[in-house]
Amino acid sequence: MNPFSLENKTILVTGASSGIGAKTAEVVANLGATVILTARNEERLLDVLKKLPKGEHQIIQADLTDDEAINEIVKQVPNIDGIVHSSGIVKHYPVKFISKKQIKEIYEINYEAPVVLTSSLLKSKKVNKGASIVFMSSIACNFPNKGGALYSGTKAAINSFSKTLALEHAPQKIRSNVILAAMVKTPLFDEAEKTVSKELMNKHGKQYPLGFGEPEDVANTIAFLLSLASKWITGTEIVMDGGLSAGM
Amino acid sequence: MNNIGEFISTLETEFDELAPGTLKPETKFNDLDEWSSMYSLIIIALIDTEYEVTISGEDLMSISKVEELYEMVKLRMKQ
Repeated sequence: MNPFSLENKTILVTGASSGIGAKTAEVVANLGATVILTARNEERLLDVLKKLPKGEHQIIQADLTDDEAINEIVKQVPNIDGIVHSSGIVKHYPVKFISKKQIKEIYEINYEAPVVLTSSLLKSKKVNKGASIVFMSSIACNFPNKGGALYSGTKAAINSFSKTLALEHAPQKIRSNVILAAMVKTPLFDEAEKTVSKELMNKHGKQYPLGFGEPEDVANTIAFLLSLASKWITGTEIVMDGGLSAGM
Repeated sequence: MNNIGEFISTLETEFDELAPGTLKPETKFNDLDEWSSMYSLIIIALIDTEYEVTISGEDLMSISKVEELYEMVKLRMKQ
């Protein structure tokens, strides 16, 4: 059997309506997986679903900051062989503008949602032995930028969560890894470009030996992490930054 | 935010490096010696937290003077 194949695997993808999540759904479905797509926007989920090859794929419209919605997902999904956490937001606040309101806003979606969803699925025994869990993190956790205190913090917290998960569930051969991505051309990229201006973004792009990333670049690595080909990889961080942090 | 004077003093309070009275309605942000990318972040966060108005980096690039920023915020507060 091809170790890179995802046949007979059911994969849950959050943030599946756009960007890396949408591309991941497409890539893993093409490798044979059955995909369960979740996100807030049903219309966009349906658009993504249309692009998938025939199969038992399903969509679940849900706002992951709502506990009830998480319970609903746990109830609805069949047993799964992989989870891809790609929902998230990017917001910038200089340190002196941080209050509990901003902390709550970012941690709710970037940290609490993936953590609670994962633990609920495990508790309900919906995660098969040998499953693989992938979290979208960011190189910003090691190289924060101005205004990024909260965002970088959520990603650093996710890295530690993933490592703990890897340790606790190794006996069931359940693996957990994070991808530390730099700038990838997604709707979040366009949003960031609007915030900091195109000029600054272009300047930033010149520092990437291989240029900015494409959603497909990340989706392919996620597919590898979900497959048996990576069965000895767990509790680690994979840097995907087009060479940005390699050196001068 | 009742008038531009109040708006300017709110801005000046946030920029520790600026001596009070440095900012005038006609001051161009780019002409300030202390101007940096950090200032854009502070202005965006300040206007968000203080006036609950969202402005983007592109919005900031589209204007140059303090009074233009004031008008932009005032207009969006009404909407």
